[in-house]
Amino acid sequence: MATPLLEIENLHAGVCDKEIIKGFNLTINEGEVHAIMGPNGAGKSTLSNVLCGKAGYEVTAGSVRFKGKDLLRMSPEERAREGVFLCMQYPVEIPGVPTTAFLKHSVNAVRKHHNLLELDTMEFIKMVREEGKKLGIDGEMIKRPLNVGFSGGEKKRLETLQMSILKPALSILDEADSGLDIDALKVVAEGVNGLRDGQRSMLVITHYQRLLNYVVPDFVHVYADGRIVKSGTKELALELEEKGYAEFVREK
Amino acid sequence: MGGLVQQQDFDAQAPWLSALRNAGLQAFEKQGFPTARTEAWKYTKPRALNVDDYVLSVAGGKTEKEEIPFDCYSFYFNNGVFDGNVPELPDGVEVMSLAQAAQTDFAQDYLGQAADVADKPFAALNQYYLSSGVCVHILPFVQLDKPLLFINHTLAGETNLLMNLRNLIVVENGAQAELVEYFHYTGTVKSRYLTNIVNEVFLAPDSVLKHYKVQAEAFKAGHIALTAVNAEKNAFYKSLTLQTGADIARNETHVKLLSEQAGAEVDAAYQMNGWATIDTTTDIEHLAPCTHSEQLVKGVVGGEAKGVFQGKIHIAPHAVKTEGRQLHKALLLSDKAEVDAKPELEIFADDVKCSHGAASGELDEEQLFYMQSRGIGRETAKQILIDAYLEELIAKVEDENIRKWIKLKIKTDNL
Ligand SMILES: Nc1ncnc2c1ncn2[C@@H]1O[C@H](COP(=O)(O)OP(=O)(O)O)[C@@H](O)[C@H]1O
Ligand SMILES: [Mg+2]
Repeated sequence: MATPLLEIENLHAGVCDKEIIKGFNLTINEGEVHAIMGPNGAGKSTLSNVLCGKAGYEVTAGSVRFKGKDLLRMSPEERAREGVFLCMQYPVEIPGVPTTAFLKHSVNAVRKHHNLLELDTMEFIKMVREEGKKLGIDGEMIKRPLNVGFSGGEKKRLETLQMSILKPALSILDEADSGLDIDALKVVAEGVNGLRDGQRSMLVITHYQRLLNYVVPDFVHVYADGRIVKSGTKELALELEEKGYAEFVREK
Repeated sequence: MGGLVQQQDFDAQAPWLSALRNAGLQAFEKQGFPTARTEAWKYTKPRALNVDDYVLSVAGGKTEKEEIPFDCYSFYFNNGVFDGNVPELPDGVEVMSLAQAAQTDFAQDYLGQAADVADKPFAALNQYYLSSGVCVHILPFVQLDKPLLFINHTLAGETNLLMNLRNLIVVENGAQAELVEYFHYTGTVKSRYLTNIVNEVFLAPDSVLKHYKVQAEAFKAGHIALTAVNAEKNAFYKSLTLQTGADIARNETHVKLLSEQAGAEVDAAYQMNGWATIDTTTDIEHLAPCTHSEQLVKGVVGGEAKGVFQGKIHIAPHAVKTEGRQLHKALLLSDKAEVDAKPELEIFADDVKCSHGAASGELDEEQLFYMQSRGIGRETAKQILIDAYLEELIAKVEDENIRKWIKLKIKTDNL
């Protein structure tokens, strides 16, 4: 019996009185990988931001349940601690905050929420080294201020590193492939695949099919004009790659 | 004047000392207390500063040793009164209480020579009282191995206390020293108190003083400080002040770069909430060619608090090839928080490099959201950003242990 992890029902949301998400429905069960594909401006980033509780978005109708709980009532940090992770399209630079210090705050905040002991510096460094190695992240990189001066590839690798150490129940990847060359893409995909254990779920949001060659989804949904207009399996992604979104955009 | 100035007995004193005190009194009487119309107090509204409402602190109290996480020579003040205990010091460093020093020719040569009191009523009063303090004399070429720590502990009580601290630091040719000042309190403050400090610093040629200060007074307190520095040829004064307490505070630094190659780096950080006004006032006078100064002041202001920066750079007509730079930045944490920055450049010489700048902003929502989306609580995230904001300044403290200590003194509550 599949256990639902994320249940989105008839979600309507927008910014500044402009409705961007217009009746969105999706259920993701434990262990499933769903891909959402849509043209630029479809509202993909809006969806991921609403799911993560970013301020400035207004939900006007519908519900989102995560592990049975009302996700929309939680603060962004509570959502993260409960196991929702957003791998951002544009990770934010924070000058003056060393990457390691940030990572340690993050890991321990999540551990504390689950009544686990906070990691001490030694344990933490060891874990970051091990996970970092798999992603080609060296000690020098994480001493630098968070994302400051990181290349596009480095930023995405750092997002992936955070995902691998926080081990979220649901990872939302917003255009994880944008700005990556093929080698960096493979590294990131490997990191993401490392988390696939039949329990954890993923929502892979992308404009292009390319990433889905490496992170192979169980389901593919076409997202246009604020709602899912077609669902299928991984073959749908190939079809989209071939035909483009014209058919769906016109439908509106 | 009313009953504010307790009658002082001048008879037993050397004539020069009586003269100095009387000059202080006269300067004070001429100026009176600042009002909202006083130019120097236009941004920092003088309130709760009328010393008529206070009783001069004379009793001190029992010294309680503080845990200080760096090696130092400690001098304890209780309620503004130096307890008289001078720790064992290496050769080449002479320290006396102000009362002892007042008997010497040495003090006569220096006391009142750096601090101009004509337009500073509180410094004038301080000169009248000359109540309590420490005089330090670092002999030529001595490199002091550990910092001197002046630590003033206020034990909150029932009466409004006025504390006058007066210190003298003379660093001779080629000598180097570090001074740390720490103002703190314990207990529940039922009454107000007002700390009024004047430090005079004399830097002989090629000498260096690094001066760190943490002002962590009670919220119901006033803190008015003047550090007046005379720097001779190739001498260097470097300071960093962190202010996190008092509902009205002014930390004023007045540096005279008297001779070629003299330099100053005057930095400050402040962090305040409530309805406090925290003021950083600087006056750097370039009085000789090839002198240089640099100032970085950064504030974090929340609640209905106000940060004030008045920064003056004066370059005398013959002071060519000088460099003076000044930058004030503030982070506003609430809609009602406010900053006023008043740079003032008086440049009378050609061929100088002089600049000033001011910027204020808010915490970046994108940065906060990024951290929250990784499980970090919003309040913690704010504190991380504030620490990062002030890090640029704190990083300038070279001694690692002092740096860590100052970092710990950055307040983390109520933001
Ligand atoms: N803060 C905002 N204010 C106004 N319009 C916005 C804002 N954010 C996004 N939009 C608009 O909403 C639509 C969806 O944007 P977005 O979610 O970023 O799309 P995608 O990620 O699919 O490219 C776009 O038309 C965009 O211009
Ligand atoms: Mg997007």
